[in-house]
Amino acid sequence: MSQQNTDEQTTSEQDAGDGGSPDPTDDEMLIQTDVSESVDETSGTRRRETVVRAEHVDVWYDDNQALSDITMEIPEQSVTAMVGPSGCGKSTFLRCINRMNDLIDSARVEGDLYLRGKNVYDDDVDPVALRRRVGMVFQKPNPFPKSIYDNVTYGLEIQDKGGDYDEIVERSLKRAALWDEVNDQLDESGLELSGGQQQRLCIARAIAPDPEVLLMDEPASALDPVATSQIEDLIEELARDYTVVIVTHNMQQAARISDQTAVFLTGGELVEFDDTQKIFENPESQRVEDYITGKFG
Amino acid sequence: MATGSSQIEDFGQVSRTVGTIFRYLILAATLFGIVVLAALLVYVANDALQPATADPGWYLTFFLTLVAPTALVGWAVHRREPAAFTFGSFLVGLLVVSLMFSGGVGLLVVDVVPPLVGFSFAIAIAVPTAISVFLTRYSHRIGFTSRLSATAFVFYLSLFGLPGPIGSPIGVPQVVPSLARAIQSIPVIPVDWMMVGTVLGGIGGAVVGSYVAGVRDARTGLVAGGLAFAATLVSAVVGPFVGLNPVPSTVLTAVTVLPTATYAWRGAFTEERRPAGLGFAAVVVGGALVGAAATSTLGFAGPQSWVDWQFLTSAHSGSAENAGLYPAIGGSILLMATVAALSFPIGVGAAVYLEEYAPDNRLTRFVDVNISNLAGVPSVVYGLLGLGVFVTYLGQAAGTVIVGGATLALLILPIVIISSREAIRSVPSNMRQASYGMGATRWQTVKNVILPEAFPGILTGTILALGRAIGETAPLIMIAAPNVVFSLPTALESKVSAMPLQVYAWSSLFASEDFYTKAVPAGVVVLLAVLLAMNSIAIVLRNRFERTG
Repeated sequence: MSQQNTDEQTTSEQDAGDGGSPDPTDDEMLIQTDVSESVDETSGTRRRETVVRAEHVDVWYDDNQALSDITMEIPEQSVTAMVGPSGCGKSTFLRCINRMNDLIDSARVEGDLYLRGKNVYDDDVDPVALRRRVGMVFQKPNPFPKSIYDNVTYGLEIQDKGGDYDEIVERSLKRAALWDEVNDQLDESGLELSGGQQQRLCIARAIAPDPEVLLMDEPASALDPVATSQIEDLIEELARDYTVVIVTHNMQQAARISDQTAVFLTGGELVEFDDTQKIFENPESQRVEDYITGKFG
Repeated sequence: MATGSSQIEDFGQVSRTVGTIFRYLILAATLFGIVVLAALLVYVANDALQPATADPGWYLTFFLTLVAPTALVGWAVHRREPAAFTFGSFLVGLLVVSLMFSGGVGLLVVDVVPPLVGFSFAIAIAVPTAISVFLTRYSHRIGFTSRLSATAFVFYLSLFGLPGPIGSPIGVPQVVPSLARAIQSIPVIPVDWMMVGTVLGGIGGAVVGSYVAGVRDARTGLVAGGLAFAATLVSAVVGPFVGLNPVPSTVLTAVTVLPTATYAWRGAFTEERRPAGLGFAAVVVGGALVGAAATSTLGFAGPQSWVDWQFLTSAHSGSAENAGLYPAIGGSILLMATVAALSFPIGVGAAVYLEEYAPDNRLTRFVDVNISNLAGVPSVVYGLLGLGVFVTYLGQAAGTVIVGGATLALLILPIVIISSREAIRSVPSNMRQASYGMGATRWQTVKNVILPEAFPGILTGTILALGRAIGETAPLIMIAAPNVVFSLPTALESKVSAMPLQVYAWSSLFASEDFYTKAVPAGVVVLLAVLLAMNSIAIVLRNRFERTG
């Protein structure tokens, strides 16, 4: 809806500098309401700040409701998996976070979705500026038909960011576990890489501008098992620095890599959202148990 | 049904009679147009080239030196290495097409653009281009807006000076002369061939250099570019010894020798390694040269072709024997340049708007339908539009390059828009998603992702549309372009004729036997040859695009 005035708003949002820094009161409230106190193998028990908080989010495509009344909180520096059968709205929810749904004419979002305390559906939020703070990796690897170097710097380039590009490229590719394979061919086209390498390049591209959240929409579903396991290792690694939200079809994948799991079921409802271990070992809902054990879906 | 024990004796037959009849009917439909046109073209070519007038000895010589060796070597190469054969044929084709192009460029350099003007403007464009490339490449610290304004300022200063066209209407005198003007006013002027050679060699060197750098590495590219530049200048010195004037020999080197040599180098000596193809090309070219030398020493007369050097380089004349197409060829080239300069930006801009920006509402659907309809509006109507708008309303002189170009640009605009939209639509949507997902604005997505991806397709569509414009006669008649001009137009406001118009004039106004049986077919052959040369670029571009995309 606000897509038409995107260009005009971009500059003003950029000038505002740390546009994502949370409102102090909101922030306080966030910490108080933060209930998910997860136990993580790597860092032990600690209170995690909520990065994304959805409150009663509904999404319609024309008259079809894709998501109904989603309320959840996604804590920082962890992997949150969203699982569910096809068409349950998990990807739709992911696209709500960076407002990619704005690009679809028929999509309509209601409810509140906060990113670090700022409602991204407020009128004064420029979706383009929002997307600059949220990285996204898609289902099918989609590097640009440019050199590997230019792919990684794309986000910096469009944000007019200064800095030592060579260093950022090296750092991002290293984080994406791709540096060792491509460091002598940075000038070659990103399309000449294999599928798994392309997807890691897309991850490097997404993290180069240092986003708040990294959204991944079934990032390994188009890859072979070896590439998939590389991507999975990478995701666990990335969760040390980033908040990763990943949509996946693959139960085992969610069980392996995520700290929290949200189970969406047909009709666009969020049936259960809890620590991954609990979801897979002792889910509260019978439907979730049936789904996870493969009785349906 | 199927029980395991029973054996099948016979599957029976399914009738294909209707299918076979249908197949041959559609084959006939496919060939109908081509065959009819081919028959006409053979007839026309026969009239124009007069193959029957040649000595039998001439044919025999060429059969022995050119046709037989080509067939033999071609067959052998093709059997051993089909890719090498393709490469060799492409090389010969490139040579022929680039020879035609050097003819066109030579015409512009010799008769249209004075060397000093061309030289000064080439430098006035090259200097700010280099500055802006430097800015883009070496300083990420400068923001896009300041970079854009700096670039725009440098270009303006270089081309117009200060205050330039902005100041002149309000009477501000020129304070800083433009770079172009400054170069034109230097007291010591280099010789023509030096200026032409520098410009063409510079462009040729840059193209060759970047191509070679793409195949190999930056360093080899630099060396190759330097060599190409030097070769162009040296050719001007060497040219007179083999009977060529300095300026034409620089043109020939830059437009024909450089691309052919680069392509030959790449095919034969880089990773593709197909020297056999090079051998095949050498046999074809060598055979043609040997044949030409042999026939002239043995005294065999070639065909009394109407398309000869005299026809290509002289103006219309009262007698068919002395009539030529030169001003019309030059007029067509200049018209096409104007048409391309006008229709390309407008057409691509409209296509980008309709594909990427336009909301889906009643107005844009209305525009959509009407652009498709405009593509079918008869050209004579566009001629009337050009006459009404440019001549009557805007008060331009009738029949000039700018009026003709603008009218033809209007004519092909819908085609350019439709084909550009097609190219833009074929950019995969996940590229757009990736760009928007990175936080690119719509403009950034269009600039960085969509246009670069769609560019070859856009270019192909535009060239094919230009092919339509080059053959148009009716709009030129409507805007009162003269049927006959005797010299090349040298400014946008000069009167212009064009090849189809000249042919039309020969066939109707000067309808003596010789004109419409000889000059008209010759004109048609030249027109079609130019058209084919243009389309060959489009075909090459499309093939490259399909291979990479």
